[in-house]
Amino acid sequence: MHPGSCFGQKGDNVTEEKSKYIIVGGSAAGMAAAHTIRRHDRQGSVTVFSEELDTPYFRPLIPFVVSGKKRAEDMVLSGCGPYTGRDIFVRTGARVESVNTAEKTVSVQGSGGLAYEKILFATGSRPYIPPEIKGTDAKGVFALRTLADARNMAKRVETSDHAVMLGGGLLNLKGAFALLERGLKVTLVVYSPEVLSQLMEPEDVFLIRKALDRAGLKIKTGCAATHIISDRTGVTGVALDHGGEMSCQMVCIGKGVRPNVEFLDGSNVRIDGGIVADRYTACNAPDMFAAGDVAVTFEPVSGDRIMTALWTNAVEMGRCAGQNMAGIKTAYSGTFGILNATQVAAEPFVSMGVVHTTDHDFEIYRHATDTTYRKVVFNPEGTRLIGAVFIGDITNAGLYRYVIREKMPVMHIKRYIIDHTLHYGRFMTGKI
Amino acid sequence: MSQPKEIFVKTDRCVGCLSCTIACAVEHSKSKTLFGAISETPVPKSRVYVEWVEPDGKVPLVCRHCEEAPCMYACISGAISRDENGVVITDTDKCIGCWTCVMVCPYGVIGRHLEEHKAYRCDRCPDREIPACVSACPTGALVYDTVDSFSGKVRKHASRELLRAEGG
Repeated sequence: MHPGSCFGQKGDNVTEEKSKYIIVGGSAAGMAAAHTIRRHDRQGSVTVFSEELDTPYFRPLIPFVVSGKKRAEDMVLSGCGPYTGRDIFVRTGARVESVNTAEKTVSVQGSGGLAYEKILFATGSRPYIPPEIKGTDAKGVFALRTLADARNMAKRVETSDHAVMLGGGLLNLKGAFALLERGLKVTLVVYSPEVLSQLMEPEDVFLIRKALDRAGLKIKTGCAATHIISDRTGVTGVALDHGGEMSCQMVCIGKGVRPNVEFLDGSNVRIDGGIVADRYTACNAPDMFAAGDVAVTFEPVSGDRIMTALWTNAVEMGRCAGQNMAGIKTAYSGTFGILNATQVAAEPFVSMGVVHTTDHDFEIYRHATDTTYRKVVFNPEGTRLIGAVFIGDITNAGLYRYVIREKMPVMHIKRYIIDHTLHYGRFMTGKI
Repeated sequence: MSQPKEIFVKTDRCVGCLSCTIACAVEHSKSKTLFGAISETPVPKSRVYVEWVEPDGKVPLVCRHCEEAPCMYACISGAISRDENGVVITDTDKCIGCWTCVMVCPYGVIGRHLEEHKAYRCDRCPDREIPACVSACPTGALVYDTVDSFSGKVRKHASRELLRAEGG
């Protein structure tokens, strides 16, 4: 028998030995592709392999399991939003160990093989645990990635007073707030000069930093952990590079992610960091596609090769791959390396496109009030918008994203972009 | 098969009176009356926006319930779905206020309810035959019609104008 559980109906032409479409990975990209395939091909069997034991869920919601605001069953993907396709066969707890691209089969741990006509690699990514930090295998050390991680973290909270978060990115901030809500003392240890350094520059983050401080989060910037101290109860403290030590019962590592490509070791699938996908989400051989965190794609403004680890991007690329797999040739429009919207500590923000401007001769406009901040970035010639950060007031952010992505000439709307008064009405009347 | 109706905007008819925005806010209030609505906290929100374009243009903007709705696919909590009438709905219970929909909507018609920390948008007034904004519009700038019927009327109007210009 297959390990883990199965759900969904098999298509008419599925056999035990073959599935027309195989999708390796059951999160954003994989499930978006599966549902897209189902829209265009009602008959072909779709089998999704997911290593996790949980049925596919909305991964970005897992901090709510830590805070206790949501239960796992409230986060199930199937039937919610656009994920209403039927007859998608999901095998959970099923790890694809290898792919034979010549014979078009996958080998699944503990349950033999399955043949395919078309395959999507959507194995996502996993947390990066810096090897220079010693003792990360202790009990009470977490890298929040899966629902299982979130459950374990929630449990550890019960016996913890203080949590130390290593890394100042969005994931750790969300985790930090979940823990604050549970009544823990939380300290963020950030190597960079400021939090959210991937999404904005230190001078942009001021309002958010103020809100974090106000919320009671302790932040230590410019320092790193060297090792995690533990005994048989698990974590008891963290040693820092400047010699200090902090006692704590929990450590969360949020130091970015790495793509899950190892299952393709020894195959002929081209890997360059992640799985290299062309403009049509296809790999370097026929009938193989890649999408999501694991795929190397391109940035629409610069054309540079990039990898991102964002739900929204993964869904978009997964949908595109699904179309291509179902025989509808569709070009992927690429993705911004930075494309984030969220709210931390009652401060909404959007960061998109090119926002790291130090040492570049971009044309930059900043505007700050007590409660809002924005930075809009144009190319050096000042003819195109290439990036924007909005904090506090994110009105019409989608319109600015559209202007960046479509590389629109901005001569006639530049004033509105700088003043943050752009609205769609200007496009409708043609008076721009 | 009956086609669902949609809200169309005739920008040349809008005088910027904002009747649509008031009617929308009232329809989405608890009391559903103007005097009740203005005394409610939080103040009920309009889901239709009238933007001003220099020198004298007024443009009502409302959710188009896009066919490939970017907001629905971008939503990270599964809160946005399409109902059987083609209306794109935000499920307030599921919404976590991450504003990803705001970041991807190219029309800027998804609002942020700050008090409730939820996104909101046009729901085409499920309790009404004709959406409140359309009923309230005194100049016929907002039209509730099917695509076929509306485009037919636009064609007819254009032909008449053409004939008149040719002296027919």
